[in-house]
Amino acid sequence: MDLLSEPLAFEFMQRALFAGIAVAAVCAVIGVFIVQRGLAFLGDGLAHAAFGGIAIGLFLGASVEHAVWIAIPFTAAIAIGIGYILRRTQLRGDVATGVFFSFSFALGVLFLGLRTAADRPVQVEHLLFGNMLSVTPTVLYVVVTVALVALALTLLLWSRLAYAIFDPELAAISGVPVAVLEYLLLAETAVVVVVAVKTVGVVLVSSFVVIPAASARLIATTLGRATLYALGIGTLGAAVGLIASYHLNTPSAATIILIHCAVFAAAVAWSRIRR
Amino acid sequence: MNESIPPTMKSLERRESARALIQTRPDPALPHVLDVDHVTIDIHGKRIIDDVSFWIPKGEFLCLSGPNGAGKSTLLKAVMGLIDVTSGTIRIGGEDVVAGHHKVGYVPQRKAFDRDFPARAIDLIVAAMRGKWPQRIRPDERERAKAALEKIGGARLIDKPLAGLSGGETQRVFLARALVNDPSLLILDEPTAGVDARGRAELLDLMAQISRSDELAAILVTHNLAAVAQTAERIVYLEAGRVLCWGLPQELLGQESLTALAGFQGRDHRAAPDEE
Repeated sequence: MDLLSEPLAFEFMQRALFAGIAVAAVCAVIGVFIVQRGLAFLGDGLAHAAFGGIAIGLFLGASVEHAVWIAIPFTAAIAIGIGYILRRTQLRGDVATGVFFSFSFALGVLFLGLRTAADRPVQVEHLLFGNMLSVTPTVLYVVVTVALVALALTLLLWSRLAYAIFDPELAAISGVPVAVLEYLLLAETAVVVVVAVKTVGVVLVSSFVVIPAASARLIATTLGRATLYALGIGTLGAAVGLIASYHLNTPSAATIILIHCAVFAAAVAWSRIRR
Repeated sequence: MNESIPPTMKSLERRESARALIQTRPDPALPHVLDVDHVTIDIHGKRIIDDVSFWIPKGEFLCLSGPNGAGKSTLLKAVMGLIDVTSGTIRIGGEDVVAGHHKVGYVPQRKAFDRDFPARAIDLIVAAMRGKWPQRIRPDERERAKAALEKIGGARLIDKPLAGLSGGETQRVFLARALVNDPSLLILDEPTAGVDARGRAELLDLMAQISRSDELAAILVTHNLAAVAQTAERIVYLEAGRVLCWGLPQELLGQESLTALAGFQGRDHRAAPDEE
C-alpha cells in the first residue's frame, strides 16, 4: 500500500493525480472522434496555437496563468480556421493543421522575442513540457471544471458526432447538423488543449489525445466500446504513470505517455493475434 | 448574374429530335410520390438545374439518366433536402422536402463512409432508424434491422463489421438501411458502382424485385444499360440541367443518340465494366 499511500500523502501529488486523470479522461474521449476523423495531428497543432496565444498574452503583460484567457479564444479561432479550410478546400486535415501549426508557433516565438528585459521572466521550458507537480489549487479547479463540462458536452452529442464522422452526407439527410458539430468539436478540442497545456505542456498534450484513442480503436469493434476503452486507458495510464514517476523519480507527463505507449504496443500485438 | 448552360448545336438538334419522340407520361390520376415542379438550382452563380419538371406515381421505378454533369446528383441532393432550390418546388408525398424527408430511403453513390470506422451492419441500420449513431441496440431495433436485411437476403450480415464486407455486401447493407423506415420513395444513386460482376448481378435482381413493387417508388441513377433495361418503368433523361425526354423505356432506349450520350455501359450486366 506504500506504493500508493506514500506519494498521495503529499498535497501536490493529490492535485497532480486529479489534474492528470481529468486531462487524460477528456483528451481520450475527444481523441476518439479526432482520431476517427483523421485529425491525429490536430492536438499538436492546437497545442502550438495555445503556445502562440499564451505568448501574445505574455507580450500584453499578463502572467502565465492569466495568459490562458487570451490563449483560449486565439486557439479556438485557429481550430475554426482549420475546420473552415477542411470544409471549403480540397486540402487534407494534416495539411490544414500543419499550416496553422507553423503560423501559431512562429507567432509565439515572435511575441516572446518582442518582450523586453523589464518584463516578468517566463520559463519557456515549463510552457513546452508542463509540470504536473506544480499544479496549484486554482489551476486544478480550472482543469477539472473544463474537463467535466467538455466531457458532458461530448457524451451528450456522442451519437450525433459519431454519425457525422461515419458519413457526413447520410448524417445530414437524417437531420444531423454536421457542420455545426464539426466546428463545435474543433472549438472544444481547442479549449481542452489550452487548459491541458498548463499541466502536461505544449509538446506532450497531443499524446493524451491520440494514443489512448488509437489503442482503443485497435481493440474495439464498435465506437461505443472504443470510447469506453480510450477513457479507461487514458485515466488508468495517467494514474499509474504519475505514481510510477514518483517512485522512479522521472518526469510525470513523460512517464504517463510512456505507459500509454506500452498499452498501444500491447493493443497492436493483440489486434495482430486476433486477426 | 447567373451563368446558364449554353446549348450546343448538337444539344439543340437533340432537343428537336426529342420533341418528335412519343413520350408517355404517368397517369395523372395515380397518387404522386414525388413532384418536381419547375425546379431551377444555381450553385455559386452557375445554373446546374434549369426549369426541370417531372413526377413519380406510387410504385413506379424511374431511371434518371444523362451524361456526366447533366445535374442528376444535384437534383437528387435537392430532393433529399441537402441543397436549396433557387426556384420551383419539390414535394414528397405532398409535403415539402424537410417535412417529407422521412419518406425517402437513400442508397448513396460512392461510399463516403470511413472504412476504418468500428461499425457493424446493424449499427448503420439502427442509425437510420434513430437519426443518430447507436451506443446500445434494443431487441426491438435488432428485430427491425434483421427484417430489413432479410428483405434483401442479407440477414447473415447483421453483426458483420462493415470494414470486412465486399462491395456487393456493403450495398446490400446500405439497401437494407434505406428500406428500414418503410420509405415511399427509394433513391439509388449509382448503386452498382464499384461492385464486382457477381455482386452487380445480384443487386440488379434485387432492384428488379423492388421495381415490381406496387407500393414503393424509386429513382435509379445509373450508367448501366442492363440496369435500365431490367428495372426502368419510365426514364427521365437530363441534359445540361434540363429534361430532354421523359417517357417509357421502349420509347427512349431505341434512340441510339440518347444511349450513346448517356454513357450507358454494357448490354449484358455480367460483362459490364466497373462503373467507377
